[in-house]
Amino acid sequence: MMAGPRIAPVPDQDSAPYWSALAEGRLELQHCRDCGHWTWPARPICSSCQGESLSWEKVSGAGEVHSWIVTHQPYGPAFVDEVPFTVVLVRLDEQPDILIPGPLASEVVVHQGLRVHAVPERVTDTVGVVTWQADAEDNE
Amino acid sequence: MNEAKSRFPRSQAAVVGIGCTEFSRNSGVSVFTLAARAVKTAVADAGLKMSDVDGLATFGTNDSIAPNVLAPSLGMKSLNFYVDQWYGGSVSLSILGQATLAVSAGVADCVVGYRAINGRSENRLNGSATTVARQPWDMPVKASAGIVAPAQEIALAARSHMERYGTTSEDLGRIALLGRRNALDNERAMMRMPMTMEDYLASRWIVDPFRKFDCCLETDGAVAFVVVSAERAKDLPHRPVLVGGAAWGGGVNIVNNGHEDLSQSPARMIAPRLYAAAGLGPSDIDFAELYDCFTYTVLSQIEGYGFAEPGAVPNMMIDGAFDRSGGSLPINTHGGLLSEGYLHGLNHVYEAVEQIRGDAGPRQVDKHDVALVTGQLGYVSGYSSAAVLVGA
Repeated sequence: MMAGPRIAPVPDQDSAPYWSALAEGRLELQHCRDCGHWTWPARPICSSCQGESLSWEKVSGAGEVHSWIVTHQPYGPAFVDEVPFTVVLVRLDEQPDILIPGPLASEVVVHQGLRVHAVPERVTDTVGVVTWQADAEDNE
Repeated sequence: MNEAKSRFPRSQAAVVGIGCTEFSRNSGVSVFTLAARAVKTAVADAGLKMSDVDGLATFGTNDSIAPNVLAPSLGMKSLNFYVDQWYGGSVSLSILGQATLAVSAGVADCVVGYRAINGRSENRLNGSATTVARQPWDMPVKASAGIVAPAQEIALAARSHMERYGTTSEDLGRIALLGRRNALDNERAMMRMPMTMEDYLASRWIVDPFRKFDCCLETDGAVAFVVVSAERAKDLPHRPVLVGGAAWGGGVNIVNNGHEDLSQSPARMIAPRLYAAAGLGPSDIDFAELYDCFTYTVLSQIEGYGFAEPGAVPNMMIDGAFDRSGGSLPINTHGGLLSEGYLHGLNHVYEAVEQIRGDAGPRQVDKHDVALVTGQLGYVSGYSSAAVLVGA
């Protein structure tokens, strides 16, 4: 289920595959065919070797919470019915410098290191978003 | 820290004039008006005429008035130098650094830096004005996660520090209280009623771990400063405030810079180059005006600019190390962005210049020859900026 407000992204030439993969239920990141580095958010070159040989590949979607916040302030119409809501910043297992934010859909006590996994959600045919879910829902 | 080298034109240029408007929640006038008033006041304060000015430097997020519009209105026939930089408080000291480079290189003779905003009445800076059309490259991934406000991004960094070092709400509260105490006798300050820890803890959540009093004040107003060569500054009315050093560059955006631990202060990325530029170190700094858009950024900068080991700030704060009276490093002597007003950091420059001149009245700190003045740490933009100001 959708948790938290979303400002729908407008995909661009570089990011469109990211958003459409999410719409189809997959979390995909760019993987460099030359050096093996993962890069995120979407960009046209590898941030490690600067090559253009990037391919979109499905990742595990597993990671751990590095930080989290609970937003109470309604920053606009989309927030009014959603606050308060929890957003986690998740360090993906694939690579330690990839920190992906998203609402947490689980009712758990949040802490650094909490194991979570990505749940892609379709918004339109070409746009999806990421929600995070705790691996163990009953870890309280 | 790696040994940093710098060929910054140390103390070759000086801030010789400052100006500001009233800081309020509703200026009732345009940003054009605010900018013009602050610039005129600063130029007059410097003992100069508008015709002496041949450079303008500003920043903003398409919410202000640009040099190419302001210059002809102020009677400047041609600019020899300009900066019109995108982004907010993270670049606030970069315009001072760039003005210094321009004047030192002889590209321009007299550069006025300014920031004018109707940050409360017109273009709210709390994030609620965020629209997709205005977003930089990395904003869609944040907005799609429900993150649209600087408070949210910096709260993520604060939480990371709380997790790693056990920093508490009361630790953040003491930073808010310090700012408020310093604002009480500041006639420019928007918040002049006393605040207790009970008041702080009772203030409503904005973005947990930030309460209302962890957040700065959306403000209408403008600040300007005038930079000329150190040589020329000798003939002007005030004690010259030399730009000893400046650095701008590295910051830690929460998603895109490839950094792994948000608890580590991004100030560490520019501090070595800043101190190398100035030929000084943290122990040489008499007082500091630290960018306090939120309480946590103060703590992070005290660590990152080399005044404390990570995790040590809360106890130092309890011991009064940063108090205006009796502290070893007085900070945010005017109340800061938290209690004076949020002029995107340029009011820090204004206060530092008044202090160095010895013109700060009841707020005057005892040792006031060397100041550190900083911009935001880049959690939003990925840039940061800072300068060391030295009384001649």
